Amino acid sequence: MIASVVDWDAILQVIWVSLAAGVGLTAAWGFALLGSARAVQFGRDGRLPGAVIYAAVGAAGFAAVLGAIVFGIVILTGD
Amino acid sequence: MGSEIIVVIVVATALIFDFTNGFHDTANVVATSISTRAMPPRVAVTYAAILNFVGAFISLEVAATVAKDVVQIEPSSVGLLAVFGGLVGAIAWNLITWYFGLPSSSSHALIGGMVGAVFVAYGSDAVFFEEGIIGKVMVPAIVAPVLAFIVGGLAIVVLYRIVARLRPGPTTSGFRLGQVLSGGMLALAHGTNDAQKTMGVITLALVANGSISEETFHVPDWVVVSSATAIALGTYVGGWRIIKTMGSRIHKMDAAQGFAAQGAGSTVILAASHVGFPLSTTHTISGAVIGSGAAKRLSAVRWGVAGNIVVAWILTLPAAALIGGLTYLLARAFGTGAVGPIVVSALIVAGTALLFIRRSHQGAAPGVVPATEATR
Repeated sequence: MIASVVDWDAILQVIWVSLAAGVGLTAAWGFALLGSARAVQFGRDGRLPGAVIYAAVGAAGFAAVLGAIVFGIVILTGD
Repeated sequence: MGSEIIVVIVVATALIFDFTNGFHDTANVVATSISTRAMPPRVAVTYAAILNFVGAFISLEVAATVAKDVVQIEPSSVGLLAVFGGLVGAIAWNLITWYFGLPSSSSHALIGGMVGAVFVAYGSDAVFFEEGIIGKVMVPAIVAPVLAFIVGGLAIVVLYRIVARLRPGPTTSGFRLGQVLSGGMLALAHGTNDAQKTMGVITLALVANGSISEETFHVPDWVVVSSATAIALGTYVGGWRIIKTMGSRIHKMDAAQGFAAQGAGSTVILAASHVGFPLSTTHTISGAVIGSGAAKRLSAVRWGVAGNIVVAWILTLPAAALIGGLTYLLARAFGTGAVGPIVVSALIVAGTALLFIRRSHQGAAPGVVPATEATR
């Protein structure tokens, strides 16, 4: 009986969005911290190619977090 | 004229409920940011109150669910008395759980109160038990805290792996900066889901009064603005109480855990708000906090607090429904005019004053258990 009255599409949407956004955003922030910390460290050591790559990882992490938050708010306000 | 007075009493009662909801839940919204020192207490509380206000304007899906999909009310004074009974049931249950220090959900109390009062007023046909209560309230109420637990746990495991070899000092500062974002998202999510429940109830009262037609359902702008203001004020005022008590009550989490828990809680609440599920924000945030603590080590979780949350969850819907039904009967005993709600309101004010006096004689109030108390 319960199976027929529950909107499983909505429940599944909540589950996959929460998993993707909750884990994805925190991981992206982790990469932002990793990239920026390593870029500074490699820069100090004079390892320029590594510093550039890590700076790009950090920037991509920050951009992913901010972009996802803006995207989420646009989706929500579009109800 | 009588029905207009009842509408004013119902709207005022709904806004008081909304204020107490913000007051009650501030602990969960700001405690994580404060305990990890991501933000000074005054800044955290003001920031949360502002984003609670903004969040209330984001969506109206939850308001529509509360107003249309849980109970059905016909335009009449009986309908207004039923909405009033439901609100009083929720407020009374919140007061009782506050008195005994149980971490109950204001949202479940509100829905329970409404169901009880409408059931007594109109019978079982007016309550959408299957699609409404089971499909849109109870199943999401079970799924959301479990999902927040899993997301919080997975997020902290992934985070620890990513930053494992970084120096702790700058990493902690980075997570504190991240908590400005995640804490803001949590306050936004709280405002979105919880303020909309009050909007739904006020709209239901306007339908009962005949001010809004069920066919052309919409939430008036003044309802959105007043509900947003009430919950934001409640959060702000409740926050000052948290600032006073935080030194002894709140357990420390590390900044990464706080960030993961806030991120998990806010994404679950926002995703559920998007599809119109009226969640317990308290239980969802608690699930995320417990998940981020359990992933680090199982002994970090205070399972007794987690157990109390489950007990309160089981009790809230039926208890609030019972009080809502009895309140409707009491108000109805005075007829269908404004006398019943006035008498009940006077009783509630007197009862609240009595509880506050008794509690102050017994020492500090147990108050609301913040979500961060679920871990150590």
